[in-house]
Amino acid sequence: MSEARLFKPRFNPAKPAFGILVFLLYLFLLAPLLIVFVVSFASNQYLSFPPEGLTFKWYEMLPEESTFMNGMRVSLIVAVIVTVIVLALGVPVALALDRFEFKAKAAVQSFFLSPLLIPSIVLALGMVLLFGPLNLNNTYTGIIIGHVAITIPFVIRTTLMSLATTDTSCEAAARILGAGSWTVFRRITLPIIQPGVIAGGVIAFIVSFDEAVISLFVAESGLPTLPVQVLRYVENSADAAVAALSVILILISLAVVVVVERAMGLRKALR
Amino acid sequence: MTESKLSIVDLTKRYAAGLDPAVDRLNMEVEEGHLVALLGPSGCGKTTTLRMVAGLMDPTAGSIVVDGKEITHTPVNKRGMGMVFQSYALFPHMNVEQNVAFGLQMRQTSKSEQKRRVAGALDMVQLGHLSKRQVKDLSGGQQQRIALARALVVEPTLLLLDEPLSNLDAKLRETMRTEIRSIQQRTRATTLFVTHDQDEALDMADRIAVMNGGLIEQFGSPTDVYERPRTRFVANFIGQANFLNARVLSETGSAAKGETHYRVSIDGLGQFGAVGAPGLTGSTHELVIRPHRLRVSLQPAGTETIAGVIERVNYTGDALSVAVKAGDRVLQSQMPTSSGDLPRTGDAAYLSWNEQDAYLLPTPVKEPAA
Repeated sequence: MSEARLFKPRFNPAKPAFGILVFLLYLFLLAPLLIVFVVSFASNQYLSFPPEGLTFKWYEMLPEESTFMNGMRVSLIVAVIVTVIVLALGVPVALALDRFEFKAKAAVQSFFLSPLLIPSIVLALGMVLLFGPLNLNNTYTGIIIGHVAITIPFVIRTTLMSLATTDTSCEAAARILGAGSWTVFRRITLPIIQPGVIAGGVIAFIVSFDEAVISLFVAESGLPTLPVQVLRYVENSADAAVAALSVILILISLAVVVVVERAMGLRKALR
Repeated sequence: MTESKLSIVDLTKRYAAGLDPAVDRLNMEVEEGHLVALLGPSGCGKTTTLRMVAGLMDPTAGSIVVDGKEITHTPVNKRGMGMVFQSYALFPHMNVEQNVAFGLQMRQTSKSEQKRRVAGALDMVQLGHLSKRQVKDLSGGQQQRIALARALVVEPTLLLLDEPLSNLDAKLRETMRTEIRSIQQRTRATTLFVTHDQDEALDMADRIAVMNGGLIEQFGSPTDVYERPRTRFVANFIGQANFLNARVLSETGSAAKGETHYRVSIDGLGQFGAVGAPGLTGSTHELVIRPHRLRVSLQPAGTETIAGVIERVNYTGDALSVAVKAGDRVLQSQMPTSSGDLPRTGDAAYLSWNEQDAYLLPTPVKEPAA
């Protein structure tokens, strides 16, 4: 070991190169967000860069823009209900996939994970065609069904990951000590896989809240969600109110992630 | 016959049709207050047996009776047993106290009673001062004790231990062995203990069931299975042994415990004394001699000796292992070391033993077709 150290060059060119690479990667990831942030305070008449002056007028506009407020309400209602449903469905499915051996296991697994692999525009088109005769277009039920379909893979994945690292003998120990199946689930299994369940829930909430394609196809005219409203707004007017809205949304997501991280350790769950 | 605490009758587990059974018509009676070790190599069916008694696995056939009541199909959470797992299986999201109290909560014991019994159980394993700790902050040995406290606090009908010591380091294992045994004796909890470690079984158990291939090869006290192995497998698995094919020539008298002294002939080595079950005369049996009962002397001593040459000497500090080549056989001997003359490779050596230390296995060796 000491010999190897002797021949180590004093200057390692890989080190600064790596630093620059990391910096560029972060820049690449964060640049769009930074630009939106800057633009939201710019006094330019139209959405453009660089800024010509400083203003808060876009932020002042937001509460009066009823389309945004309505869209926000629809999106929040949808996201909350979707999160509840997707957890209630996804966690039992993950448990079944982890704990039981059955014939169609591989098929069931691919079925539940397939929405991740299919382009959402294809899904959206299929849903419009399916929901038409069922009178589900432009209803909460329609949007929620669509969002549940695309978010359930996340919940199943994160829950399966938590389950894979748990010691099943904990459950056996609880049963021997007198706990019935439901008690074992509520008092042992669920608390142990909680990080995965919460991570799945947070991802499902954010994905649903953010979802544009399915919402656009299924409910553009009757029940526009926030992303749909943003899209419409940008089509019709080109001012920076959208940028201000984006900054608010970024801050809200950040707040959710930070609160969950502080409370439950989301980072641990996502690792 | 006294009523047994646990009776296992013809218990069988077959994982899939066509496969050999993992446990094959196993029968066993366990007395109240006894610690019984299920000892055997991996895959011998010992853990499967334990899991069937616990109710974690359904038997294919046979029955399990505890306190005179058949429980073969009683659900696991209604059996009132306590189990310690190899991984301890402590609940990671609960602290020490909550872990130990879990079984009492399931029995709807009153809060004050819970508090009292949890404190008692923690004192019993000498960890009362850690009651508020998170389990992940405990060492392996401490986790092990908490698992034991959690299993015993409910005063289980049976205590089941599944390789509880195999995750501990060697020193700690010795301490825990003594401690588990003394707690078991104090609580008089009837205990089934699965292990692959013969020393553990010999040290801790009242009875040992030596298992192999889903069958019990021998069920008896530690001295029984060590001194009077019923099969070659048992003799080989528990301790080390020299095996010599011996033709039994004649009885020479009766020995203690209903055994008989025999005169036997070992091909090419001569005639010797041995003991065994009555009625072995005329057939060929394997003679079992433990290495430390086989004396090595460097001078001829007496008539009943095997002359040979020392092939290998292994010095391990407190013991000396000597391999002696006699004819085409190599015999292992073990002796305490002394500061005097030590045997050396190449020395002539003379092997002898006390008659009662040479034990004939009860089942005759199949004679090779002449």
